[in-house]
Amino acid sequence: MGTSRLTTINFDSELRRAGAHSTHGWRRLLFLAQRYLLGTVGLVIMVLFVWMAISADLICRYDPLSVDSAQRLAAPSAAHWMGTDSFGRDVWSRIVHGARVSLAVGIGATALGSSIGVIVGLASGYLSGWVDLLFQRVTDILQALPLLVLALVMTAALGPSLPNVIIAIAIPLIPTVARVIRANTLALRELPFVEAAKSIGMSEMRIALRHVLPNTLAPLIVLATAQLGSTILTEASLSFLGLGIPEPYPSWGRMLSESAAEYVRTAPWLVIFPGVAISLAVFGTNLFGDALRDILDPRQRG
Amino acid sequence: MRSVQALAVAALLVLPAYDGASAGEPKHGGILRVYHRDSPGSASIHEGATFSINVPFMPVFNNLVMYKQDVPQNSVESIVPDLAESWGWSDDGKKLTFKLKQGVKWHDGKPFTSADVKCTFDMLMGKSQQKFRQNPRKSWYDQVSEVTVNGDFEASFSLKRPQPALLSLLASGYTPVYPCHVSPADMRTKPVGTGPFKFVEFKANESIKLTKNPDYFKKGLPHLDGIEFTIITNRSTAILGFVSGKFDMTFPTEVSIPLLKEVKSQAPNAVCVVEPVNVSTNIIVNSSAPPFDNIDIRRALALVLDRKAFVSILYEGQADIGGTMLPAPGGLWAMPKEMLESIPGYGPDVNANREEARKLMQKAGYGPDKRLAVKVATRNIPIYRDPAVILIDQMKSIYIDGDLDVVDTAQWFPKVARKDYSLGLNLTGNAVDDPDQSFYENYSCGSERNYTNYCNREIEKLFDEQSMEKDVAKRKKLVWEIDKKLQEDVARPIILHARQGSCWQPYVKGVTIMVNSSYNGYRYEDVWMDK
Amino acid sequence: MFAYIVRRLVLMLVTLIGISIIIFVLLRVVPGNIVDILFDAAGFVDPTDKANLEKELGLNLPIYQQYLNWIGGLLHGDLGYSYVSEKPALQEILPRIPITARLAALALLFSASIGIPLGVLSAVHQGSRLDYTLRVVSLSGLSLPSFWLGLLILMASVSLFGHMPIYNPNPATWTEAFAIYAVPAMAVGFRSAALTMRITRSSMLEILRQDYIRTARAKGASEASVNYRHALKNAILPVITVIGIEAAFLIGGLIVTETVFNIPGVARFLVEALRWRDYPIVQNLVMLIAVVVVVANFTVDMLYAAIDPRIRYGD
Repeated sequence: MGTSRLTTINFDSELRRAGAHSTHGWRRLLFLAQRYLLGTVGLVIMVLFVWMAISADLICRYDPLSVDSAQRLAAPSAAHWMGTDSFGRDVWSRIVHGARVSLAVGIGATALGSSIGVIVGLASGYLSGWVDLLFQRVTDILQALPLLVLALVMTAALGPSLPNVIIAIAIPLIPTVARVIRANTLALRELPFVEAAKSIGMSEMRIALRHVLPNTLAPLIVLATAQLGSTILTEASLSFLGLGIPEPYPSWGRMLSESAAEYVRTAPWLVIFPGVAISLAVFGTNLFGDALRDILDPRQRG
Repeated sequence: MRSVQALAVAALLVLPAYDGASAGEPKHGGILRVYHRDSPGSASIHEGATFSINVPFMPVFNNLVMYKQDVPQNSVESIVPDLAESWGWSDDGKKLTFKLKQGVKWHDGKPFTSADVKCTFDMLMGKSQQKFRQNPRKSWYDQVSEVTVNGDFEASFSLKRPQPALLSLLASGYTPVYPCHVSPADMRTKPVGTGPFKFVEFKANESIKLTKNPDYFKKGLPHLDGIEFTIITNRSTAILGFVSGKFDMTFPTEVSIPLLKEVKSQAPNAVCVVEPVNVSTNIIVNSSAPPFDNIDIRRALALVLDRKAFVSILYEGQADIGGTMLPAPGGLWAMPKEMLESIPGYGPDVNANREEARKLMQKAGYGPDKRLAVKVATRNIPIYRDPAVILIDQMKSIYIDGDLDVVDTAQWFPKVARKDYSLGLNLTGNAVDDPDQSFYENYSCGSERNYTNYCNREIEKLFDEQSMEKDVAKRKKLVWEIDKKLQEDVARPIILHARQGSCWQPYVKGVTIMVNSSYNGYRYEDVWMDK
Repeated sequence: MFAYIVRRLVLMLVTLIGISIIIFVLLRVVPGNIVDILFDAAGFVDPTDKANLEKELGLNLPIYQQYLNWIGGLLHGDLGYSYVSEKPALQEILPRIPITARLAALALLFSASIGIPLGVLSAVHQGSRLDYTLRVVSLSGLSLPSFWLGLLILMASVSLFGHMPIYNPNPATWTEAFAIYAVPAMAVGFRSAALTMRITRSSMLEILRQDYIRTARAKGASEASVNYRHALKNAILPVITVIGIEAAFLIGGLIVTETVFNIPGVARFLVEALRWRDYPIVQNLVMLIAVVVVVANFTVDMLYAAIDPRIRYGD
């Protein structure tokens, strides 16, 4: 839905329309934070997770990989906030380091998928002709397979490793981005300022990069935020099925899979905390993405 | 240490395991519902090498001889007739002759004769026209020169040299007699046997169904009307199913210790036993390439292992420490405790061992500032992956930084065969608690399953010597000596021998879990249900 | 219109051919094949036996030849044989379809019956505390991994009732049948319900603002009648779209849910077959999924045109 909608936005006027009269930077921010409370909560959650991922080594008192046979399956306590797993590894440290994996996959796959999608979409919308036709068919093909199915086959083909999982999840993202960018490009091409640029002899390439691309940024950002959540979920599902990131890296999805499932009742913290971490991270991006869409794409505003 | 473990087991058990006899006259009828841990690749026992095939399909067949199903410890003394009425060795120990039962019929009605015995073993030795797709236990019959028949009801095995252990191999659940008239391909999908239960259907990833063979040659058996296996790969789902009464029995020797606790708290009446499975967790060391071509580094590796930590983390204490042969009391060939502890790395003082290991590492040129980076290859399955994680953690203390290299099942053996690894974490199952099986398969020069290519001609001679030895006491001494030497050479450091739990509902009678093999105890002809 | 449909059908065919090529090539660049896995059980790979087996399975042929054999077979309704069970692939796949279809249908039913009313409620009370709460709940629905939800449900069911739904091909009672299908369907449909709710809400809002609704109100139609009769009727369209979009997501959710609840449907079968490198099963299953998704999208577009007279597809 809404993929064919033309979206060029003047941010200033949008914000004024929303009621932000001050031009002062931080006041405007404060206003936005009040107006979009849920989005702010989402942003805070996201920032928290990013901060966790970056300063993981500072936050944790324990090495997430260090095994301790004396501390197996300890319940949550002051020493181990989220308890320990069957190896005696600190669950909190593993969750914090797991944020690295989840965000690396989430951001990496979204960035990779989006950038390829932008290139494909721009080329497809701007060049038309057989390039367009070819790219359109390829996106059709990629879109006819569910994200998880494609990612499953890809990881099985590439083998389980961090870069491979990122690639496997990024590729299915390409068509959605490409579709949106293409539709926008098609619409933008007809606009007067592009015509004008053409008439003064600007090269096609330059027009595409200088005029068309910046104007498709808004929908791109909205889309990328929405996809961030689903990439994190897909990584978790892959790991749960045993095809995700392999063992030395703590991954939330794998923490939940087989070995943790064995302790469902004897050590429920092994099932609860990683699940909460996944849900919270995705929830944060969804909240933020929703608000972002409201701000940047007012036509979809509820 | 052994007594501590025995205590732990006793605390876990509410009822003694072997209560079949005390429970009165067996009742007939009922379908035994069991969950199965995974979907076996086929139904053909001869083509498989996992007890995922033996458990559901052993009831379809008979052997020439078998381990008595209600004696927990497999040994030569517990071997009883199955399709054979009697057997005897020639005086030179080079010919084993079986007299066969008469009037036995295959499930499709055709009569069983000595020709079927010859067909089966000719195929196993690769001598017949028809071939198995794969033949993992071909080497079991390396010493058999030919199988001959004398009339319809006598078959003989001629040997190149005496090998008393052949009888033990023939008694394994891995050695059923196949019919001549059914092709290997059909045996994979619709197996035909002579056994107490007939094959009904096998739906991959879903279920396996067997029904009573009314014409079974052992009169009055089986007691059950049938057996149904439901395939559930997720262990905790499966256990929840057992606890809620959907199954009469768990998959044998598959209940982990944490799950066993759950069973005990949820279904306090269930009968559970914990027994060794004769599967060792070991490290394969690539000694043909740096850095482990250096014997000092190999020795350091042997010294760094804190086996008790492995045992307590992976099995909550329910595993045994030993050499290649399964430790006592389950195992028959384990070396005495003092002898075991004299092997480097087996001594009780882990810190002293590691101090020595560090010295060896320094001698080899490594230290706190110059650490050695190695990859630890293993399969992407928890029972392989988990010990590898601990190994990596332990190696840190001797300047080795291990990096886990998780390998897909389809790529594991090709990779191992290419020698594309430094260290590998591996599991080795022994179908029969006999040195002939484990030594030749895993350590003899040129054996396909000798992944490390360890080859020592001196030891090879000892292998043959023990194999031909008729006197059990003498053979044991030889076996201990060989086992000790194998450990000292760091051919394939053994970390532990696992134990696993099996549970059944209190009304299930006549189930015996073997204590020195998890491949031989699933005929299920004398199992019955008291309800 | 007719020309449009023909064009769409041709494009669908092109898409499916493309998928068949991609999946075929992808599977064959994977290191290791079924033969390695079969030998894995034996503990070693015998090169001669391996070559023989590859020949038997046709894996030694050039890749284009293998592809043509597969497609040629498909055209004759021959899906090949499963490498593992050695039964016809069709015979392995067909009995599993109704199981997954039942789950999917129940999940969609669940999501519509929860999502649409809540979406309407949320839109009608836009800006209220209820609206706020419902929006947060629906967002959280999009954030919970369905396998985790499934695990939590299983945990709760055993703690509360002492048992849990385990798949049984012949449920004895209606309640058992209900438990076997409805519980996993809820776990997987939770997400779709959240999505349905969000879309219903936003399209309701759009329509409530439109002129003819204002006219209806001005004419004195009661508030409830306006909301539910006029508005909902029009808002149903985008909901159909959701179902189209969800078809793809749902299959992903079914894969993990069937794994958690041990349901022998087609979705989990795909994972198992991938693990075994059972090419004939994987290929055909992926094709089946692609056909379902493509046909679902096509049907949604056609429904759209049929229901909404304003939509006309040009050539």
